[in-house]
Amino acid sequence: MVEQLVWAAIKFAAVLGFMSFNAIFLVWLERKVAGFIQYRYGPMVTGKPHGWLQTIADAVKLLAKEDIIPALADRKIFILAPLVMIVPTFLLHIVIPFGPNLIVKDMEMGVLYFFAVSGFTTLAVVMAGWASNNKYSLLGAIRAIAQLIGYELPLIISVAAVVLLAGSMSTQEIVQSQASWPYVILQPIGFLVFFIAALAELNRVPFDLLEAESELVAGYNTEYSGMRWAFFFLAEYGNLAVMSAMIVTLFLGGWQGPILPPLVWFLLKIYLVAFVIIWFRWTFPRVRPDQLSKLGWKYLLPASLVNLALTSLYVVFI
Amino acid sequence: MPAAVYGLNGRELADGRILVNIGPQHPSTHGVLQVIVELEGETVISAEPELGYLHRCFEKICEGWSYPQIIPLTDRLDYISAIFNEWVYCRAVESLMGLEIPERAEYLRVIMAELNRIGSHLIAVGTFGMDLGATTPFTWVFRVREDLLNIFELVTGARQMYNYLRIGGVKQDIPEEFPTLIEQFFAVLEEFLVNYETLLVKNPIFVARSKMVGVLTAEVGLAYAATGPFLRASGPRLDLRVSEPYSVYDRFKFEVPTGTNGDCYDRTVVRLAEMRESMKIIRQALAQMPAGEIRAKTPKVLKVPAGEVYTAVESPRGEVGVYLVSDGGTSPYRLKWRSPSFVNLSTLPELVKGTKLADFIAILGSIDIILGEVDR
Amino acid sequence: MAVSEPSQQKIYLPAESVTDPEIPLANLVPAGLGVHLKRLVQWGRKSSVWYLSFGIACCAIEGLMAAGGPRFDLDRLGSFFRATPRQADLMIVAGNVNLKMAEVVKTLYEQMAEPRYVLAMGSCACSGGPFRGSYNMIDGVDQIIPVDVYVPGCPPRPEAVFQGILQIQAKIMAQAEKGARK
Repeated sequence: MVEQLVWAAIKFAAVLGFMSFNAIFLVWLERKVAGFIQYRYGPMVTGKPHGWLQTIADAVKLLAKEDIIPALADRKIFILAPLVMIVPTFLLHIVIPFGPNLIVKDMEMGVLYFFAVSGFTTLAVVMAGWASNNKYSLLGAIRAIAQLIGYELPLIISVAAVVLLAGSMSTQEIVQSQASWPYVILQPIGFLVFFIAALAELNRVPFDLLEAESELVAGYNTEYSGMRWAFFFLAEYGNLAVMSAMIVTLFLGGWQGPILPPLVWFLLKIYLVAFVIIWFRWTFPRVRPDQLSKLGWKYLLPASLVNLALTSLYVVFI
Repeated sequence: MPAAVYGLNGRELADGRILVNIGPQHPSTHGVLQVIVELEGETVISAEPELGYLHRCFEKICEGWSYPQIIPLTDRLDYISAIFNEWVYCRAVESLMGLEIPERAEYLRVIMAELNRIGSHLIAVGTFGMDLGATTPFTWVFRVREDLLNIFELVTGARQMYNYLRIGGVKQDIPEEFPTLIEQFFAVLEEFLVNYETLLVKNPIFVARSKMVGVLTAEVGLAYAATGPFLRASGPRLDLRVSEPYSVYDRFKFEVPTGTNGDCYDRTVVRLAEMRESMKIIRQALAQMPAGEIRAKTPKVLKVPAGEVYTAVESPRGEVGVYLVSDGGTSPYRLKWRSPSFVNLSTLPELVKGTKLADFIAILGSIDIILGEVDR
Repeated sequence: MAVSEPSQQKIYLPAESVTDPEIPLANLVPAGLGVHLKRLVQWGRKSSVWYLSFGIACCAIEGLMAAGGPRFDLDRLGSFFRATPRQADLMIVAGNVNLKMAEVVKTLYEQMAEPRYVLAMGSCACSGGPFRGSYNMIDGVDQIIPVDVYVPGCPPRPEAVFQGILQIQAKIMAQAEKGARK
């Protein structure tokens, strides 16, 4: 019993540490990459070299900021929304296989669990948008609902094809079944559909409609300040890392790779995917909400269905 | 039961519609414009610009200041293309006084004005990318603009508010190395234009966001007296530099780029093309430029004979005009500014009806307004 | 352009303007640690002064756009723009405030979370500039909101805005040492 508790505490601390590290590192990386793309330097002064302490300073500042709850806000929901955002992000890390034995819990339904929990993000956005009593926030929340179905379906159907090939929903077994070929080669259409839909799920450019800065000021988190906004920020980059991890797990062979230890391979791949996602952000303009729905329903969904059908035929006949 | 909510023009707001105040503090109003937008979901039902957040009493101040004093004040109107404001004001005063401008001064004015047009269009295309959610073109623009501002600083001594023109000429001559610097800058600019087109204009998302969005037909544009690249994107080949050539513009060979659809995409393409045309004009002007005086002789205390005059030049936003009434004293009796941004902005309610909120932002960005000029 | 450390910067602020900062949870930590906590918090505040993207007039081009752009790059100091006042620490009043705008500026200032700083950029925001005394203008934004740092110029160069932000950083650090000296 005691041993279990200790293990639980260690796992809890490990996930929390990984999440915080990701938030700190990825925000820094984002600002440096943005600077690199835009002929700038990005953070330089806070922490030498290259402002590595920047995100920590930001976090300290945000924690010490005044906590504002607007007078007309729905207090309870306003307070709850950042927690609803951050807790699922934490829970998502449970099924990520970092190495052959390095996983918090290898569930049989791991993939299903992952996508069920990741749906909470939208709930949190809607709660925040509704409770803020701000029209920009509300518009952001409405957009979240409107685009949800558009990308969730292709996302899950393209995963279904992977699950068919692997014959299991356990993330660990999916990784092991990619020992010879990663699924990005066997499932090119599925990978593309999943990647695009994952961008929409993460609300990253070109699908960052919920907090579209030039349109909705800051979208659903317009009224949030200090600590509470830091939670949204942490969750955003936590989600970025965990979704990159899922892309790596499902399509890029997970922790497998020659020479280097599995954990190193896994982290390398995660940050490569995260880098690509960040790169997109500083390259593309934003699509319109109806264009995202159109993309989801008219292109991604049929593509993922065709992919699923082809995969089924492959599994049945070969 | 809440009280009835009133929408635009005192109409009661229908169920399910909301009024959103976009601005005055909003990232993409390009200043302090406020637009009250009636939304049904994401669809814009109607929009009404609310002006006056930057009203600086410019015209009234001018009535108390002497003629040369007003030149730096005009810089602050359209603060991205300051030279054109100075130019149109100086032309008004000069034509009332009947001053003969030295030829070299006219060439210098053309060169600096066309450089300024490049700078202005750079910001226009950069912020338009920003409005569509692409931040990188915006910073690229500022990287190129810094090179341009170096040249401006060398010639005029200022980065933004040049105060370069004088009544009867210009402040000072260009330095010797100017043509080399210009060629260096043009090389950077050419590279930027190609990069910008690769990054943004050829991007399918950009095309989807801007093609056939905010279409201004030529009839509507002419009916509202819109001018500049905003109107030319719709087809009419109206450019004061060609239709009634002022200064020495009749000596240069250049195209007036026009669009066909009058959408946001065409406006961007027309602005990019105009930058290339400006480069052509500057090259020709540098080659033709005669030596000589740069300022006509003017009296110490400038008195303008009584009379009234309207002059206009083609600024990056359209026809900027001055209607100047003089009573023979040392300061204007009345000065009325015709600002192209204000006129172009008045088409906004027509353009945005029935579009989506995201398009509304794009359309507002594509008009390229400067609030200093709209509110004066 | 070399950016010297804020600690080496000369502070051009009157001593009474340096107030004791509010530090959350400060009374929970033991007295000896309080000073360090304060230094840590003020260091965080100093190192990430996020400014509100609120350009009123001409100065916005120089102070917000060019200063955030490639040559100057405010991001080096840890400052980048936030569009909503709730998440911003610094309001750069870049331009002249007229009677209609005054209420908006005041509202925005009130919407910002403490601690908040105001940088009056340009002659207009400092004192009214060329438009001083006309019928619709407020001669200096300090008539409606408290201003921490004035950056004169018409418009000031981006370097001047940098100096203004370094002054604000210096002021924040001076606050951290204020209690420590007692």
